[in-house]
Amino acid sequence: MNYLNDMSEINLSLQDRTNAYRQLGANPFRPWPARITSITQLTPKEKLFELRLIDEKVREAFTFTAGQFVELSIFGVGEAPISISSAPSKQGFIELCIREVGTVTAAIHRMQCGDVVGLRGPFGRGFPFEDMRGQDILLVAGGLGIAPLKSLINHIHDERHDFGKVTILLGARNPSEILFRHEFDMWKHREDFDLIMTVDDAVDPVNPDVTWDGEVGLVTRLFDRLDIEPAHTFGVICGPPVMYPFVVEEMRKKQLKVDRIFVSIERRMKCGIGMCNHCAVGHQYTCIEGPVFSYWDAINLQEAI
Amino acid sequence: MIYKIISKGALADLFAGLQETYDEVVGPQERGPAFVFDKLSSVDEVRLNYPSTILPPTKYFLPADERLFRFDRSTGDVYDSEPAQGTRAILGMHPCDINAVLMMDEIFMGDYVDPYYETARKSSFIIGVSCMPEPGHLCAAFGADEIHRGFDLFLTDLGDRYFVSCRSVPASELMDSYVRSCEPSAEDINDFQERTKRFKEAFAPMPKMDQLPLLYGAKYFDEELWERIGDDCLSCGACASVCPCCYCFDVRDKVDPGGKTGMRHRIWDSCLKSEHAEVAHGHNFRPTRASRVRYRFFHKFVGNFSRTGKMLCVGCSRCGKACKVGINPGSVIEALQKEYLPDTAGVEVFKGGGAS
Repeated sequence: MNYLNDMSEINLSLQDRTNAYRQLGANPFRPWPARITSITQLTPKEKLFELRLIDEKVREAFTFTAGQFVELSIFGVGEAPISISSAPSKQGFIELCIREVGTVTAAIHRMQCGDVVGLRGPFGRGFPFEDMRGQDILLVAGGLGIAPLKSLINHIHDERHDFGKVTILLGARNPSEILFRHEFDMWKHREDFDLIMTVDDAVDPVNPDVTWDGEVGLVTRLFDRLDIEPAHTFGVICGPPVMYPFVVEEMRKKQLKVDRIFVSIERRMKCGIGMCNHCAVGHQYTCIEGPVFSYWDAINLQEAI
Repeated sequence: MIYKIISKGALADLFAGLQETYDEVVGPQERGPAFVFDKLSSVDEVRLNYPSTILPPTKYFLPADERLFRFDRSTGDVYDSEPAQGTRAILGMHPCDINAVLMMDEIFMGDYVDPYYETARKSSFIIGVSCMPEPGHLCAAFGADEIHRGFDLFLTDLGDRYFVSCRSVPASELMDSYVRSCEPSAEDINDFQERTKRFKEAFAPMPKMDQLPLLYGAKYFDEELWERIGDDCLSCGACASVCPCCYCFDVRDKVDPGGKTGMRHRIWDSCLKSEHAEVAHGHNFRPTRASRVRYRFFHKFVGNFSRTGKMLCVGCSRCGKACKVGINPGSVIEALQKEYLPDTAGVEVFKGGGAS
């Protein structure tokens, strides 16, 4: 009995699971040391860390697809699964966008350039990038959900000629919580990306003087103005759990098929390799069959969304 | 497979052979009113005619607390990540427990290979032993009362002698070198067949399992049913601790007193613990006891079944004995089947497995 049979066809386009651990015959529980080479404070709570694996052989073997994640080790504190934010088209380093929310993330927030952390991965399945080529893409990110989508957006950006219309809807609670805002501010004037940013509340609690001239309201409100060709469009969603049903509903109203909508779901993977069972949803493991699922697969998994 | 007959007295020869060949020999022993798997220093300590042990021998492959590696916090160096070396003979595993280990093999030596599990598994020599069903045992319902692989030697008790099945080359060599044995006679084979028949007949009527995944789907949204079971559940995780098919673990770091170095280890965990499905920001995908109990049995009866075609339960009844409030697979199966399959529900077997 093949458990993949009940998954939608597009997710079946198997990504190469011959990952770095297999190539190197390494112990998948053993983290590889990586050095922090750059830290950017994105918002009061989030920082972007650039990491370089110290071992050259490991660095070369470490290839990934947008949507995959790593297990970040802070020795003495523990591990946390973090999505990769940099594009697979950029080799030699990875970027992790990390919100200070638990013990591991707080520990890396206290670290500085030159400090060493551990990395395991990349794990899981990412977005079906190859299937997306030649298609229109509609990306919807809420809050920290932009972290894994940033990798996909940058990958599309680097191979832009291969894609049709690319629309990005970016939501956050208030202006200062918009991640990568400076970067995206510059994108607003680009003709090859339709980027709309929206905030729940235009008044910024941290900097009340900051003015906001963008949209106000939930991302779902932006769908009315979108012109979508459902047969040639992929929808991609990542954000807080509460967001998914509403955004999916909007995409369905636009006639997007359930297996052309992709969601990245969050679980606390402890091992990343399908053993510890912490990330189980229904009969699948987020760390093996996910974290990216087609919406069709996700609705077949109890308690997924 | 090679078959031999040995006298009960020859068990001492077998034990001597195991002690010389393996670093450690473990087996079931008496501890007060219960039985446990522990290190054996003499053949007199072993009790092969035991009903069940508190913990299953799975603990030798996935220990309750296991070192993964040591680390240096400042340099990020990782060392001592090699799996523990040493060979072990496990004497006296019941068919259910061997079946459970075979299921664990698919999880820990499947898509990815866990080097710790694999090393422990490959350096183990397994000697199974026949048993008789006790009240509450559901192994026959799960097809776990029989075992045809996964052991090196299997001893079937014929009263005054053992009928020995040799499955592996090391087992055959051990038998040749240490144990006085003879070829089975027509009478031995007849006794073996009789014994097998008696064993099969000793089971109380078993619940039908083939419709269980379907019924589970139908009852998944039966809030009343899961609330009722969840209301009883203490979320203590005792069932998971004694389950030969449970393998959830947590990964933790322990820092040495000096603060510079430390150890990462993994410890048993349970999906019944409230924080099991919690993610960052404290969102919990299974916040209630009802949702966790429902998940636990879902994973056993449907989740793993969808992946591998096997249910993650061998019907050993340890969980039912460990549970303080009487939840056991039998009672859950009964609750699932009651409405839809009135004929098969409520058979006697369900009454044996609960807390006493």
